[in-house]
Amino acid sequence: MTLRVAPPALGVRQELRAGNGQPGWFVVAEQECRDLWTSGRGLILLFLFSVLLSAVTYLTSTNQALNFLEQRESVNLVLQFAVAVGVLATLVVSADGISGERERGTMETLLVTPVARRSIIIGKLIAALTLWFATFLISIPYVWVLGREVGILGLALALGFCVGTLLAVGLGSIGLLISAACNSNKTSIAASILLLLILFAPTQLPSGLPQGWFFEVLLRANPVASGLAYISALLVEGHSWTQDLSYLITPLLTAIIGAGALIFAGPQLVRLTRGVNAG
Amino acid sequence: MRELLLLGLLVGVLSWLAAPAVAAAPLSIKVVAEPANVETVLGGRFMITTEITNTGSAPSGEILAHLNVASIEGSVYVDPEDWSPDRSQQLSLQPGESRKLSWDLQAVNAGHFAAYVVVVPFGSTVAGSEELLISPLVNIAVASRSTLTATGALPVVISVPLLLGLASAGVYFGARRRGSDR
Repeated sequence: MTLRVAPPALGVRQELRAGNGQPGWFVVAEQECRDLWTSGRGLILLFLFSVLLSAVTYLTSTNQALNFLEQRESVNLVLQFAVAVGVLATLVVSADGISGERERGTMETLLVTPVARRSIIIGKLIAALTLWFATFLISIPYVWVLGREVGILGLALALGFCVGTLLAVGLGSIGLLISAACNSNKTSIAASILLLLILFAPTQLPSGLPQGWFFEVLLRANPVASGLAYISALLVEGHSWTQDLSYLITPLLTAIIGAGALIFAGPQLVRLTRGVNAG
Repeated sequence: MRELLLLGLLVGVLSWLAAPAVAAAPLSIKVVAEPANVETVLGGRFMITTEITNTGSAPSGEILAHLNVASIEGSVYVDPEDWSPDRSQQLSLQPGESRKLSWDLQAVNAGHFAAYVVVVPFGSTVAGSEELLISPLVNIAVASRSTLTATGALPVVISVPLLLGLASAGVYFGARRRGSDR
């Protein structure tokens, strides 16, 4: 007796894309981006982001005592805020990547598509990164308003883009790793936000506190704190871009290790487990 | 005649005595700064050049040229570090040698300022009694310009969230309508 097993039925999207010869990660990224942006979820996050950024910019600009140097600091403040919230948004979206599929019971459908599991996870990371790029685009007019008169607009934007992209890749990858380890979306998002808060905590310490070697180690070991310290060193202290390059080691390593772990462990991460809402 | 001989002898002795004093004399250095006047606006970047020449007959040894900025009108607080992060340059000059040093500055306060370069001997052998050599002042006039105001930020602060709010509402309700049509 010959047993023939029919291949799983493909959705319209996969059939069309397979016919066009698009790589799997591109198909997943495109679908994830469509879900994120046409559902209004991404735009609502952008709207909330812009409201927050408007509030910070307005509060900064109403300070009539601003002088030249303080204006540089205000650019630094708004840029750091934009990078931090943009990375947070990326982390939240990526934290929904795997656990969200499990919770909604759509993981089975995803797994039967003719797309490699590694491609699924890469596509999800790329889709999450689009939110970072969108938040960066939104922050440009705010940085322009604050930085146009002090001649640091180009530097501020280049810094924000480079440091923010490194952080977004690193933390987005970590968010997906956390998501893969969780069956519940709530657990995944809560763990990711907790991680981000822990990473941001050292940046909120008063500058007047004595800062010894331990603080320096803590600062440099933390990708967010060291990335933001690099931005401050260039924007406020006027250092050259090579002078404090060591601050970028941790964000770079986080991006490489996070994305590397995601790519290599992808096939093991995207697996079917029982979601909390699954009957 | 004898008086003349005595006078000549005295001059000779004094010259001989004065000879070591010439060797240990303060450095013979000339410092020239240009341009003499700088007019810029707040945040403007400009460069001052100083030419340091060893006009003496002995090597200068290690010397340090140090840039300083001072407010010469009103009571504007000046932190020279903010004007130029690199304010010291170390050099040594042979007799007759001349060196041009460039100083990059950025005007971080509005008002009337003077920049000057001081040349001091450098190293552990400095006694502390050496003479300072100072360049002529470079007169810097920095015009203020409108700094950040709430009015200037208001169009961006209002329009960006407004546009994004409208766009997200349009997309959200469009998606809901498409869902209900199905």
